[in-house]
Order: sequence, then structure tokens, then C-alpha cells
Amino acid sequence: MEYMEHIVLVFISIVLINNLVFTKFLGCCPYLGVSGRLDMAFGMGLAVTFVTTLAGTLTWLIDHLFLLGTALEVTRYVCFILVIAGAVQLVEMYLRKFFPTLYEAFGIFLPLITTNCVILGLCLFLNLWQVNDILMAVVLSFGAGIGFTMAICIMAGIRENLALADVPECLQGAPITLITAGLLTLAFMGFAGMIK
Amino acid sequence: MENYILSASAMDFFQASWPAAVLMLGLGAGFAVVLLIASIKLRVQQDPRVEEVYAALPKIDCGACGFAGCASYAKAVAANPELLGRCSPGGADAMNKIAIVLNLQISGSGAPQRPIVHCRGHKNDKTFYARYRGIPTCTAANAQPLVQACAFGCLGFGDCVRSCKFDALHIVNGLATVDYSKCTGCGACSRACPRFLIKMVPFTHEPMVAVACSSRENGKNTRAFCKVGCIGCGICAKQTDLFTVTDNLSRMNYEKYAPSEAVTTAMTKCPTKVIVYRGKTAPADVNPEEKQTAAAS
Repeated sequence: MEYMEHIVLVFISIVLINNLVFTKFLGCCPYLGVSGRLDMAFGMGLAVTFVTTLAGTLTWLIDHLFLLGTALEVTRYVCFILVIAGAVQLVEMYLRKFFPTLYEAFGIFLPLITTNCVILGLCLFLNLWQVNDILMAVVLSFGAGIGFTMAICIMAGIRENLALADVPECLQGAPITLITAGLLTLAFMGFAGMIK
Repeated sequence: MENYILSASAMDFFQASWPAAVLMLGLGAGFAVVLLIASIKLRVQQDPRVEEVYAALPKIDCGACGFAGCASYAKAVAANPELLGRCSPGGADAMNKIAIVLNLQISGSGAPQRPIVHCRGHKNDKTFYARYRGIPTCTAANAQPLVQACAFGCLGFGDCVRSCKFDALHIVNGLATVDYSKCTGCGACSRACPRFLIKMVPFTHEPMVAVACSSRENGKNTRAFCKVGCIGCGICAKQTDLFTVTDNLSRMNYEKYAPSEAVTTAMTKCPTKVIVYRGKTAPADVNPEEKQTAAAS
């Protein structure tokens, strides 16, 4: 029971308190690039969630089964990128088959999930945070994806309304987006005091 | 430590690194198999002609065809061959290639369309009544009756320049000037000009000859407003029937143009030198004053 509680807390922590976008500033490229429209942002979030869950779990397994045992930690980055690239390829094929409109709407951002630093960041954090438990690794990976989806959807919602707002001319476009991102980060900083 | 590295032989290097190599090879092979299975299971049936059509297009996504980009135009053409020939940057070349891909018979091929600015009045050629200080766009300035004396000539605020995606248009001394080496013929500038000075013209020859004026004022007024306007004297029309003078303005039949003695004579005889060469290899415009001083000396 205590273990279950721990898992739930870890999940909430990675989604809200240690949200990789808001606290580690990872994945800012799609966070600002694909957050123009809510439906696209949601699709992007789901794609990233899928890739992080898959890549996080696989890399944790590879890390613990091969790398740590054979003192090959130096190859961690290369292996992880390989896993992520493979997972992204899978997602791309899947989307192309079943969601062609979404596939076209993403354009270049879909293959760019490969270089999304949320994913590689999470895979490396799993090691840094010394996660020694496969279930925990899965929950953390999935939670990181959900956290990213939440962040990008909030941003997209704000930006959709921002399009109608009376923004001063000098702040229109990218500047107001960055200011919004900053304020959003500040708001989420407030969660940091909740769990000690 | 340094000694250690220096004394490491190729054998040591190999011994230390083979597990990494095996691991990477294993991972790579594993993913290759997974992706191979996925690519078979998740294969999308796509019309192979779409890709071939796309390969024939210029891939600059200018939007002249009315579609979002070359990829969506390729898809549309493959589905509906009636849309053939919308790609003006690709011109006849691309159209023929697409026709071969789609197994179509097309007859006749248009020359590439390029814009010609039908005005040649630079700032110092034109007469101004006052200085315009309004919104610096041609559309706004065009609403003012007295922004410059000539009600037909280039305003020089660069609406066409802003519309050009290829940096092929510039305002040179108050006159929109096309850089034909960069121009793709997408036609954005001709739609942007509020005075309709920029017309898309089939470039049957290089360089093309054009009557670079749009003034329908009578000869006296045109002379007063601009040093290089067409006064509608009709000398060019007497040389060759390529030129027709209507509404005090000589117009040229671009479709039928071919370089000939008569056209050259018309150009040299034109009193305001408004018949000019336009295109990549066009020589510089002759100014009427220079001609006069040359004759005087």
C-alpha cells in the first residue's frame, strides 16, 4: 500500500512539481513551435507521451541489463538516442497510417521529436535520480509525457486566446509567447513547496 | 595517466571497445528488425505518381498555384489533371514533366511568365506637387490624389517588394525594379500593385521588349508629369504592328514579339525612350536626355 502511494506521488511529482518543461526548461522547441493550436498541441503531446513511455522504459532496461553490468555507461547517450529515434520512427509510421491529417499537420515537428530534449532528458534523469525499479521507471516516463502534454496544451489554450487579445505592437508574436511561458513557469513554481 | 594513453596499442583499444561495438550492433539490429516489421504492417498505399509529380515541381512552396505548397499541389494534380499548368515558377518545363508522369497529351507550351513593371519613372524623372507623409504603403498612397503628378506611375512604397518571397523586387530610386535572376514568376507582385503596373508577361524571348509606361494622359500632360512617359505619338506603331496606340498609350503584343529590325528602330525612334528591354540579359535603359546630349556633342 505504501508502495502504491509512493508511485502515485511520483506520478504527481513528475507531472506537476518536477514538470520537465517548467522546471528543467526541456522541450522548449515544440513547446513554443507547435503550441499554436490546441488540437495540434494535444496530438503532439500524445506523440511525445508515447515516445517517452516507450523510450524511457526501454532505455531503463538497456541501462540496467547491459550498460551498468558491463561498465559501458559511456555509450549511454548513443544508445538512448538510438532507442528514441527508433521509437519516433514507429510513431511516424503509425500516425501516417491511421491519422494522415495529423501527420501532415505536424510536418517537420514529427521527426524532430527525436531531438526533443524532454525525452532524452528523462532517459538520463532516470539514471540520475537512481530509479531502481522498472514500474517506477514506467510511471516516471509516462508522467513526463503527460506533464509535457499538459504544459503544451495549457500554452496552446493561452495562445489561442492571446490571438484575440490586444497585445502592444512591440510584443506581438514571439515576445508575448515567451513572456507567457515565463509566467506559466512561475505559476508552476508554486507547486514546489507542496511535497517535501 | 598520459603515459598510459600513449602506451595503449591498437589491441588494447580493440579489447576495451568490443563490448560497446557488440552492444550497439545488437541494438541496431534489434531496432532494424522491429522497424522492418512495422514498415510492412503499417505500409500506406500511396499513389506513386504523386511523388513523381512532386519531383518535377520546383519545391519552393510559393503558392502561385493556389495550394499550400508543392506537395499538396502534386497530390491535387495527380488526382485531378485539370489542375495542370498552375505552376508558374516551373513553367512549361514542369508542366511537360508532369504530363509525362500522368500520361497526358498536352499541346502547346506557354513561355515562362515573368512580371514587367509598366513604368520606368525614377524619382528624378517624375514631377511631385508635394511631399507625401502618410502611411508608407502604395495602397494608402494610391488613395491620395496628389501623391505624385502621374496618376498611373509607380508609387515606390514597395507593396510589391513586401509581397515578393524571393527577394527579386527592389525599389531602386523610387521605382520597383525586378531582379529577373531571382524571379520565379509566382505573380505575387502583380497582385500586390494597387495601380496594376506589374503584369505577368510570357517571356517568349530573352530579353523581352516592353512599353514601360501605363499613363493614359494625353501627350502634353504626360510630358509635364514625367520625363520618360509614353506620349502616345504613334511612331512605334508606324514601324511595326506589334505596337498599338490606344488611349494615348502604346501597348505591345507580347505573345507575338520576336526580335526584329523594326522593333529596334521603334526603340531608337521613341522620343521618350519608353520602349525598353526587360529580362536577365536586358541592357541598361537609355535616358532621353543622355541621348540628346550625346547628339549635341
